[in-house]
Amino acid sequence: MTAISVSGLVKTFGATRALDGLDLEVATGEVHGFLGPNGSGKSTTIRVLLGLLRPDAGRVRLLEGDPWRDAVALHRRLAYVPGDVTLWPNISGGESIDLLGHLRGGLDARRRAELLDRFDLDPRKKARTYSKGNRQKVALVAALASDAELLVLDEPTSGLDPLMEAVFQECIREVRAEGRTVLLSSHILAEAEALCDRVSIIRHGRTVQSGSLDELRHLTRTAITAETARPATGLESLAGVHDLRHEDGRVRFDVDTDALDGALRHLTGFGVVSLTSAPPTLEELFLRHYGDELAENGAAAREPVRS
Amino acid sequence: MSTQLSEAPARPAAPVRPGRSATTTGTAALFRFALRRDRIRLPVWIAAGTALMAMFTVTRHTRADEEAGRTELLRSARVGRHAPMLAAVLLAGLACAALAVAVGIGATATGLPATGSFVLGASFGACGLVFTGITAVAAQVTGHTRSVYGLVGGLFAVFFVLRAVGDIEGNWVVWTSPIGWAQASHPFSDDAVLPLLLCLVAAVVLVLGGFALLDRRDLGAGLTQPRPGRATATPWLRSPLALAVRLQRGAFLAWALGLALLGVVYGALADSVETLIAGNEEALAVFGDPDVDDLVDAYLSTTFSITALLAAAYAVSSVLRARTEESEQRAEPVLATATSRSAWLGSHVAVALVGSALAMTASGVTTGVVRVLQTGEAAAFGRMVGAAVAYVPAVWVVAGLAVALFGLLPRLAAALAWTAVGLFLVITMFAESFDWPGWVSDLSPVSWVPLMPLEPFTAGPVLVLTAIAGALLAAGSAGFRRRDLATG
Ligand SMILES: Nc1ncnc2c1ncn2[C@@H]1O[C@H](COP(=O)(O)OP(=O)(O)O)[C@@H](O)[C@H]1O
Ligand SMILES: [Mg+2]
Repeated sequence: MTAISVSGLVKTFGATRALDGLDLEVATGEVHGFLGPNGSGKSTTIRVLLGLLRPDAGRVRLLEGDPWRDAVALHRRLAYVPGDVTLWPNISGGESIDLLGHLRGGLDARRRAELLDRFDLDPRKKARTYSKGNRQKVALVAALASDAELLVLDEPTSGLDPLMEAVFQECIREVRAEGRTVLLSSHILAEAEALCDRVSIIRHGRTVQSGSLDELRHLTRTAITAETARPATGLESLAGVHDLRHEDGRVRFDVDTDALDGALRHLTGFGVVSLTSAPPTLEELFLRHYGDELAENGAAAREPVRS
Repeated sequence: MSTQLSEAPARPAAPVRPGRSATTTGTAALFRFALRRDRIRLPVWIAAGTALMAMFTVTRHTRADEEAGRTELLRSARVGRHAPMLAAVLLAGLACAALAVAVGIGATATGLPATGSFVLGASFGACGLVFTGITAVAAQVTGHTRSVYGLVGGLFAVFFVLRAVGDIEGNWVVWTSPIGWAQASHPFSDDAVLPLLLCLVAAVVLVLGGFALLDRRDLGAGLTQPRPGRATATPWLRSPLALAVRLQRGAFLAWALGLALLGVVYGALADSVETLIAGNEEALAVFGDPDVDDLVDAYLSTTFSITALLAAAYAVSSVLRARTEESEQRAEPVLATATSRSAWLGSHVAVALVGSALAMTASGVTTGVVRVLQTGEAAAFGRMVGAAVAYVPAVWVVAGLAVALFGLLPRLAAALAWTAVGLFLVITMFAESFDWPGWVSDLSPVSWVPLMPLEPFTAGPVLVLTAIAGALLAAGSAGFRRRDLATG
């Protein structure tokens, strides 16, 4: 069963080609990470899925319907948290939650109260006095208090503090346990790693990788730091070894998953004293896909980030 | 009201026009003639424009920036607490001065006496300065840009009416209004500078008051703390229509109240029209020996056409609220619920149509009541309400135009819709004075409506206008259902 199925989606804004043949498959019941740097087309894709933008080309199916034609019927079955939540300045957070809930087709009062409590949100405040994080909480409570079978969340945690981020992750796990589907757009990799069954990584409006985290990890590199009895030489001639550095008796390098075995065998020939290996993180996955972009921007591109 | 006085006589009999050989010969003479005939009306509208300019300039650089968080950024740099407002006030003051000089030069160039021309310019500038000061205070009182506009706009309306009342009655009431002060300089006759100095002093005092208030409040706050709202929504706040009503009810009440008050003032002044015209040689010279009842009716029908334009302006602002909701991304979460585009747009449009019809009716009712009290004739009530209601289809055409623009040309909708309102206003105000050709008047839906109570009601134009309004609404709705929603 697929909740969302997109292929070859194209959307242009004048001269800007925001989506350039994007593909996305989200299975029913999974938490799907939708990852990409700013401006890669995440929000645009989501707006097409919601029937707010009309696609220029491509096939888009959402809950077995056409998002543009069947918008109203489909929207009863989904809840949406926009990336940039703006609320009515003179309407309180509690009123906004109720209003959006009822417009969607009802919300669970008990769950609403519980969520307000967990997110530590004062529903009586007027929206204009809320911070960005609090506005985001209003939209999150409205969405999570619904019985929607699909949650579409566009960077829902970009304004939340770490404590609230933890509450959010808890909520998503509960939603998943209930068998509901979540499309979670994010550029925060730790969040995707913590929550997602599968991810799609997009860039310049195209899908560049898609699969489970394990599958994707397989495509990436492991970071090795080793101390050897004798200086380790010849590593540079091995295929699949990258970013080799020697530092006072230690050697550091990144190695492709399929070249790991060979690299380790080679190392043992020099008498391994200590060895640490860091599993590839999504961060690295990202850097591999976007590294050239970062380099273009003059950022500290190839400095691997490890947790 | 003086604005209408010069209009009323023009309706029954067209004024004598200086001869023209080439198409533009005599323009200057005509302009002077018009300016003389409109020497009260025209300045009031320019003064209104100057006041609005001052209000927008000061608000945009003070409260609007503050509300958007830009001031916070600025103040964290090396910018003093008073700097943003001082800069805004200086800018507005400079604009007023520039306008004064420009009007002075322009009027002199048309051959008017130089002293009078510059006093005329200075009177506009002075009016702008006072409203610069008023806005500087209002921007401290309330924390919200919208409320600043409401406050200053409301004060402007009150001052405008006070001046009109004082002007017609020829008494001290004029001096309760800064617009009256500016006008008391009487350009081309007295050329009095003292009332203009009064404006200047008032402006300085108000600006200083604004700074004093600024020192007593927190960044981003008004003088009062916002009250907490409801923890849960009232049961009726469940539909797109309820939301549109909730969002727009404040603006509706303000406009309806304003038009109802205007109706009282217009009605109350009808009596004075008779006496004033009977004793005005110039007026009598223009249109011979009129029937006084006709004159009052002509005056009243003109006032209703102006009220209709104000109702149309309200309808446009109400329709454009949908555009604001869209471009500020508040339509997006609503349209992502089970709310169709037609229902969402229809709700805002319904508020605009019903609201403008009610506001128009309110002005007819208040004028009617006042006329019944004045004349003792119960029939006057029905005639006044009828005259006001007859304009509703024309108002709806203007609203429909805004809806069509919203659906088909969303980016230009606000600019084009307001341009249209401005154009219709200019046509109603000046087409007669400048003797523009008939097709120019026909551009404005308001001039299609029979001039009741002077002329009898005719169903034709009303039906045609209603049909046009319907077509425009349908086009706008269809356009909106087919287009992309505006996104950040
Ligand atoms: N309404 C719009 N008009 C013009 N360009 C747009 C519009 N919306 C998005 N874009 C452009 O499309 C690209 C993708 O934007 P978006 O989907 O918001 O990216 P993301 O959500 O991944 O940060 C960006 O280059 C953005 O500037
Ligand atoms: Mg985005």
